[in-house]
Amino acid sequence: MEINKKYNKILLVDDDIDLLEQNKTLLVSKGFNVVTAESGAEGFEIFKAEKPDAAIVDLIMEQHDAGFVLCYKIKKTDHGSKIPVYILTSATYDTGFKFDAETEDEKEWIKADGILNKPVVVEELISKLENFS
Amino acid sequence: MIEEQKNSNDLKPNILIVDDEKGLREGTKRLLEGEGYSVQAAENGTEGIRLGTSEDFDIAILDLKMADYDGMEVLQEIKKVRQNTVCLIATAFASFDTAIEATRLGAFAYIPKPFAPEELFYQIQQAYKHRLLTLESEKLKKEREENLLELASEKSRLNTIIKSINDGVIVINKTGEIVYTNNAVLKNLNINELNIGDVASEKIPATITDLVNKIFDSSDKKDKSYSTQIEIKPNNELFVEAVCSPVPQPDGSLAGVIVVIRNITEFKKIEMIKSQFVSMVAHELKAPIAAVQGFINLLLDDQLNLDEEKKKDFLSRSEVRLKSLLTLVNDLLDISRMEMKTKQRELQNINVIDCMESTIELMQFEISKRNLKIEKNYSKDIPLLHADPNEITRVFTNIISNAVKYNKDNGSIDIDLSLQKNYVSIKISDTGIGMKQEEKEKLFSEFFRAKNEHTRGIGGTGLGLTIVKRIIDSYYGKIEVESSYGNGTTFIINLPINLTN
Repeated sequence: MEINKKYNKILLVDDDIDLLEQNKTLLVSKGFNVVTAESGAEGFEIFKAEKPDAAIVDLIMEQHDAGFVLCYKIKKTDHGSKIPVYILTSATYDTGFKFDAETEDEKEWIKADGILNKPVVVEELISKLENFS
Repeated sequence: MIEEQKNSNDLKPNILIVDDEKGLREGTKRLLEGEGYSVQAAENGTEGIRLGTSEDFDIAILDLKMADYDGMEVLQEIKKVRQNTVCLIATAFASFDTAIEATRLGAFAYIPKPFAPEELFYQIQQAYKHRLLTLESEKLKKEREENLLELASEKSRLNTIIKSINDGVIVINKTGEIVYTNNAVLKNLNINELNIGDVASEKIPATITDLVNKIFDSSDKKDKSYSTQIEIKPNNELFVEAVCSPVPQPDGSLAGVIVVIRNITEFKKIEMIKSQFVSMVAHELKAPIAAVQGFINLLLDDQLNLDEEKKKDFLSRSEVRLKSLLTLVNDLLDISRMEMKTKQRELQNINVIDCMESTIELMQFEISKRNLKIEKNYSKDIPLLHADPNEITRVFTNIISNAVKYNKDNGSIDIDLSLQKNYVSIKISDTGIGMKQEEKEKLFSEFFRAKNEHTRGIGGTGLGLTIVKRIIDSYYGKIEVESSYGNGTTFIINLPINLTN
């Protein structure tokens, strides 16, 4: 798939090491090159060092909004502003609280390019990456 | 009753005769005494007034024309003091006008002189009947007045009670006006004033008046109450429950509606804590389940072509998560049993040192794995504690397990047991990663687990110290923590020795 070449290296950030391993396994099986981090702080360090082509960040880590904070920090960088960054969450299922980074208001405070629901469906991710512009 | 008294011989009326004509006076006296009446005679008006006022005669027979006083005057003087003495006016100068005048002034009857004995007896009988009726009605009147007085004091007592209760009470009549209110209403509705006569809908929240109207509007179900909860001040500062009930008339029709307004802020707070807890529990249960489900999905996915080693790794990681899930559920059950107090305590005299030693022994594997040194310092004078050994062991296990988990490899754990003034002091120090101030503050709350660069990979339910704190509290003990980030943590538990036998 051509898409894999454009978005070859993906950064996965999740504080649940098992979920991290599972998502990594899935993405590696589709030919992605995956780098991982287990916290917001580590995620930002790896992002700077690895310069991934895309990032998927778990929303709730050591802090409730750690995912939002990491997205914000990534998007502030020159490299980060060019790549797709997605928030990974089951909050919409847990709470009925729906959000998407689509309305102007949401774009104002959610710096991510979109929301991915847990568990990750690789096809959904690929279609999101394809449509990223 | 009156009939009975009249017929009874020992209840002959007590009679006063006032007449300045000696013959008539003495004759009448004898006549009446012969009939068994008790009679006193006065020879003039002055004497008549003296006798008639000093004693409560049933009947007074007054001569109209006397030398010193007119019979009417004597009557008036007697009536001033003895208003129930029945007065008969006797005179030879009978005229229609004097008869009217005598009656106007309070004479019961008018007897023309000279009188035949039958006439006299008849008049006396009638007068006595009247006297008894008057006395009876006086008595009833007095009783009624006493009842009213009692009722008034009962009313004021009820009023005082309703005024001083903590629940607001409002009574609203059919036209929607306030007819009763107490002070608690102001406090519970957070309003400055509410007066009798105010229109309810203008002063109290519409959610309450809506219910009141519902009661007024419904023709049947006269005994049905409605209630509602209202947030008076936001952010859970003041929450009330208003219960509206119909007030029936004696005939069953609706007189008004009584509204009782109770402050339920504390209940609401507890309710919120409970639902937050449930939400946290759900979240904590979900994480391991999602992890295991994720591994199963991968294992079932043929396209992934996982090698045997990977499959085994996923299975063993699933097992770890399931084990932690089970521990979590057990911890939750423990907390629930503690809260519902359904857990049977097995209180016995226990040796704290033995408890500690067996705890350390059970954890020996984890202790050696990290090559930790245990430094023990046990006082000799520690008394037996009257407690449930399972609970005390649980406390020790949870604290020492933390001291092992959050320690550094090759570190140490110091355990001090000593007898202080009124309590046994248990001090457990580790050389571990320590805690930040903000972590320390949340340490005993449910599901709180310190998360920082040092705690990665350390498992736990986040309920261990919650359980410890609850057990210690239930023994009226105290737990304190001292810690500095990077330099280890010390837990100090004080258990009162009045638990000891």
